[in-house]
Amino acid sequence: MKEIPASGNSKTIKVDYLARVEGEGALFIRYDDDTVHDVQLKIFEPPRFFEAFLRGRDFSEAPDITARICGICPVAYQMSALHAMERALGLVPTETIRALRRLLYCGEWIESHMLHISMLHAPDFLGYPSAVAMAGDHPDIVRQALEIKKAGNALVRLIGGREVHPINVRVGGFYRLPSLASLHGLRPQLAEARKLAEQMARWAARLPFPHCEYAYEYVALSNPNEYPMNEGRIISNRGLNITAQDYEKHFREEQVPHSTALHSVLIERGAYLVGPMARYNLNFPQLSEPVRRIAGELGFKPPCNNPFKSIVLRCFEVLYAFEEALRLIDQYQAGGEPYLTAEPRASSGCAVTEAPRGLLYHRYSIDRDGKIAFAKIVAPTSQNQKTIENDLRLMLPKFMHLSEEHLQGLCERAIRNYDPCISCSTHFLQLHLQHEQRGSP
Amino acid sequence: MSNEEVPERWLLISLGNRYRGDDGVGPYLLDRLRSRLAGLVDFLESGGDMARLVGEWKGRQVCLVDAFLSDEYVAGNLVRVNIIGDNDLADFIAPSLCSTSSHGFNLGEAIELGKILQSLPRRLDIFAICAEDLTRSDRLTPKVKTGAQRAEQAIIAFLHADNGGQPCTNSP
Repeated sequence: MKEIPASGNSKTIKVDYLARVEGEGALFIRYDDDTVHDVQLKIFEPPRFFEAFLRGRDFSEAPDITARICGICPVAYQMSALHAMERALGLVPTETIRALRRLLYCGEWIESHMLHISMLHAPDFLGYPSAVAMAGDHPDIVRQALEIKKAGNALVRLIGGREVHPINVRVGGFYRLPSLASLHGLRPQLAEARKLAEQMARWAARLPFPHCEYAYEYVALSNPNEYPMNEGRIISNRGLNITAQDYEKHFREEQVPHSTALHSVLIERGAYLVGPMARYNLNFPQLSEPVRRIAGELGFKPPCNNPFKSIVLRCFEVLYAFEEALRLIDQYQAGGEPYLTAEPRASSGCAVTEAPRGLLYHRYSIDRDGKIAFAKIVAPTSQNQKTIENDLRLMLPKFMHLSEEHLQGLCERAIRNYDPCISCSTHFLQLHLQHEQRGSP
Repeated sequence: MSNEEVPERWLLISLGNRYRGDDGVGPYLLDRLRSRLAGLVDFLESGGDMARLVGEWKGRQVCLVDAFLSDEYVAGNLVRVNIIGDNDLADFIAPSLCSTSSHGFNLGEAIELGKILQSLPRRLDIFAICAEDLTRSDRLTPKVKTGAQRAEQAIIAFLHADNGGQPCTNSP
């Protein structure tokens, strides 16, 4: 960190613990009346070395080991890991397995998004320090959110064996397939929660949003047949259109002195944005007709370039996840083998799936005995770090008239727009805002 | 049909991670009590999602088993906290404890939220065993295992007493 010269005109705002983000980090901003000089999203959580842990382990262990990277989005890690391994082994999952994986992902999107929407993000818009404080004045919203999340939990529990760190997923498929009756048994709860999700989206759309619009490069999976979760090409609004195999030709991870998480950039153009805003803006036509209609009614047709509005887009994705889950359950064909097997061979494979927070890339090399020789994982938060810093750099000049307390609060909100999961990328955030007036040394 | 009141089934909740040494004492007890209290009690293993508890425990009689760390107790010591209705359990549990993720709730916050949403257990009895080692392992340390066996007997006696006493058996 740079040494800040002492000045009678300079100001420092410090927030030791920014709540409602996952992980430990700090933010430092130095600015004066004209410009922002330095923004550093400082992630000091120690590196977790998952890629190193994986070396020497059996290929079949990758989904369960990588799931431990995150208690909020373990399914995402399982999905990217097993798709990468299946590509290495030449396994093509059956339609039943494919549908169940999508169903499991629906459950995780619901769980993860709902937690962020109601417990972490909504208090920002209503002026509360926490969801517990918000619940005192808005108990119905919190009750609805818990009901919605409960339905997501039920879905993950049924397909995955339990709601946190599912245990029923394996390379090639599942250890055990759910019965048709058990899936249909979940239908009433999902249908009821879908109604609540629509109410939640309509409520969120009326929240007061700061006026901030930026020109982002959005990067997401895209699939002509469906809103992306497990499959698709990696595209952007600036012409990127590649397969997962070409990911490392276009994206590079960089070390920065102030973060134990690597920053990921597009080699050609630098910072980019992944997550619900990218998915929504690039894949709006693939959403279900009711979601598109409701988005139109609420004035949220794409493009949506205001990161503060991402709370509404998450609500749309929750609504979509319920509709998709109901569709998948209605079309589910019971029967067939729960998993495919393959003999290990020396090979490599990579895959990208859409974690709730955005693109999640895994690449593995395995030896002829099926032991992992190399692993590379690029989490969504490390891809968004540079964009978060850019948002703060662009946002601050518009709001310098605010009191330091308000400015500080706005910076924290701007970070939470991304639902950052610092533990995934390498836990609390400290915020240091330093204000220098013109002419200070 | 008799007019005798049928005792309400208890919900036994375990907290903890099976792979973090003594933190797994909750799931360990749950596994052992499943067979011994089958039919009398409902069981729920919580992997850390406290928000789920707010929905699951509303209006129930809840027995919660968990590990705790303390400088004041010896590893394996059993501490019982009996909460009936709406009192200050949230004050009993330090907010900084039990936190599984800054993304989620801790037990104290779940209880606080339960109060606000009128979604608290009707009765909550906590059986907590003092842990010694929370590093990566799927085994309990000997002191905690011994403490867990005492806790098991205490829980069985407690729940049987609430269900009208020990059932009659042919065993001598």
